[in-house]
Amino acid sequence: MTQSFPEEVLEHVFSFLTSHTDRNAVSLVSKSWYDTERWCRDHVFIGNCYAVNPRVLTRRFKEVKAVELKGKPHFADFNLVPEGWGGCVDPWIVEMGRVYSGLEEIRLKRMEVTDEGLEMVAKGFGKLKVLVLASCDGFSTDGLAAVAANCRNLRVLDLRECEVEELSCHWLSHFPDSFTLLESLNIACLSSEVSFSALERLVSRSPNLKTLKLNRTVPLEKLSTLLQRAPQLVEFGTGAYSAEGLDAYSSLAEAFSGCKKLKSLSGFWDVIPAYLPAVYSVCSQLTSLNLSYATTQSPDLSKIISHCHNLQRLVVLDYIEDTGLETVATSCKDLKELVVFPSDPYVADANVPLTEQGLVSVSQGCTKLHSVLYFCRQMSNSALVSISKNRPNITCFRLCILEPRSPDYLTLEPLDTGFGSIVENCKQLTRLSMSGLLTDRVFEYIGKHAKKLDMLSIAFAGDTDLGLHYILSGCDSLRKLEIRDCPFGDKALLANASKLETMRSLWMSSCFVSFGACKLLGQKMPRLNVEVIDERENLNSIPENVPVEKVYIYRTVCGQRFDMPDFVRIMGKDKADVYNLS
Amino acid sequence: MTSSKTIVLRSSDGATFEVDEAVALHSLMIKHRIETGGADSTTIDVPEVTGNTLSKVIEYCKKHVEAPNSDDLKSFDTDFVKVDQAVLCHLAKASYYMNIKGLLDLSSKTIADMFKGKTVEQIRETFHIKNDFTPEEEEELRKENSWNLFV
Repeated sequence: MTQSFPEEVLEHVFSFLTSHTDRNAVSLVSKSWYDTERWCRDHVFIGNCYAVNPRVLTRRFKEVKAVELKGKPHFADFNLVPEGWGGCVDPWIVEMGRVYSGLEEIRLKRMEVTDEGLEMVAKGFGKLKVLVLASCDGFSTDGLAAVAANCRNLRVLDLRECEVEELSCHWLSHFPDSFTLLESLNIACLSSEVSFSALERLVSRSPNLKTLKLNRTVPLEKLSTLLQRAPQLVEFGTGAYSAEGLDAYSSLAEAFSGCKKLKSLSGFWDVIPAYLPAVYSVCSQLTSLNLSYATTQSPDLSKIISHCHNLQRLVVLDYIEDTGLETVATSCKDLKELVVFPSDPYVADANVPLTEQGLVSVSQGCTKLHSVLYFCRQMSNSALVSISKNRPNITCFRLCILEPRSPDYLTLEPLDTGFGSIVENCKQLTRLSMSGLLTDRVFEYIGKHAKKLDMLSIAFAGDTDLGLHYILSGCDSLRKLEIRDCPFGDKALLANASKLETMRSLWMSSCFVSFGACKLLGQKMPRLNVEVIDERENLNSIPENVPVEKVYIYRTVCGQRFDMPDFVRIMGKDKADVYNLS
Repeated sequence: MTSSKTIVLRSSDGATFEVDEAVALHSLMIKHRIETGGADSTTIDVPEVTGNTLSKVIEYCKKHVEAPNSDDLKSFDTDFVKVDQAVLCHLAKASYYMNIKGLLDLSSKTIADMFKGKTVEQIRETFHIKNDFTPEEEEELRKENSWNLFV
């Protein structure tokens, strides 16, 4: 029937399939469907840049318009991946430049990006509309200048939490005067001044600008000028939100009131509370508010939040306290996502009136809450049980009790039952990050109940290999597992070797996995790269039964990496084992 | 309204259908044929489409031309594609050949919806498609795909 479909009709049918699973399914139906599908798949996502290589990508997909690539594992965010590990995007840019002349969107996360790479992007992809660099490093403002000067079709330049070598404040001036297409600019991560006049001119000539996230150095006094030039903004991030005196207040308040479409606010470094009311006129429009740099006290935070009745996403410091979170619970009935960061993470016993109660209040009052990232200093099983019963719709639960191995502060017991309740009641849970005192028992609960769990982060938890075994044998949907400082070793890993091929990656650092086990695993499973990351000297003379510092295991169709620094070894592949798809 | 000129459409199996010109013009392919065919083209052959399918295509065009703003157009469309999978595929092909975008989108999307959430085997079975991969080839691709290497 459909086999006699003209290719154009089949392509048209495929164009209505948006999920990757559906795309993958139809591509396997027959050879002709595989061919049709690969010619018309235009959005490609590669969750681990070492799982494939650029040639595998370009060999299969011919007409890619949007590519998303991820490099370093997530624990790189906690400085656990040594510098120089890898994840450089340049080879990808070279190969894609050769084949995908129509590439319009590049999204990179945790990758190393060089200035040379950015120049290649700038000169090789004339149709580029979107460049998003999230948690990337390795480039300077020179690379950005090349992008600004050459990407005539650019709509989005988003630098999220990147580390940029800031050589010049004038890179923004490299956008030609004739360039008017900008829709989104995020430079919040830059620490040095940018040329304000260049910024102002750019904003003035960009009628489609919807997102503008400034960096800390843009003074408050200049904000009203920018807002007046861009009243159509939907997302705005201020710079430092402080000034001498209150002279700038009324023009700022007026400028904000002109932004009828504003839905998201962020920035607020060094906030002076007296200036917060300037945003009150837009609060009821806001769906997203990020106050994570607003180092101000609970009453000021509560006041502004109490105006935000339509808020869906809130990011805030623990200065908000339990009382502030009660305000959230009563004022923000549409809240879907809550993030509370610690103000002083390295100070033990800091007297911060934010406890488990704040989270319980929000879980009671905000019926749409499904995503939580919460840093605190105490937790109890009963609170966790309450939260799970209040909000069985939670899909992402990340709890960080600052002191490792903290027990239930009321009973001094482990928090096994609490987290067990979370996985049992929240049946749609896809992401979980745990902390506190946890025994093997919590892993038994997780293996038994967390059938939709996609990503799990564990630190300072568990007693024996059984803990790891429960996870690997029970969590059917698990794709990413990251573990640090847990007493898990060789046994569970080797017993569940085949499970590892069903996952994107497993990270284990400061555990008890030995060199010998890594070698064995690498030999047994040719489709896995078992990367030992160990900065000790004389790695070759360390006995096989000694635990490795770090191991990163991931499935791959292309075997060896060819860009490894000397502290990275891929184990168990002594024979030439480079695996190529024919 | 315009003149009530009629056009005859002839299917691959010789069935003929008399339709108002306005309805026929909903097919851009027919529109082109009329515009380039000269004043005598009152019978137009549609050899890519059988009588059964052509009849249904005409039904679609009629509704969309004669009552484009009616409230029940959406439910008409929904009901229109409640047909068995073979008819659906014929409609998709016919709408492609006859260049009727609305019907092409409607039928394509309906077929796509039938794929959603299905396994490879289920799709093959529903659409009677033979698996022509060797086991080795299929295993390779399965690895590449099921590993979510690409989205």
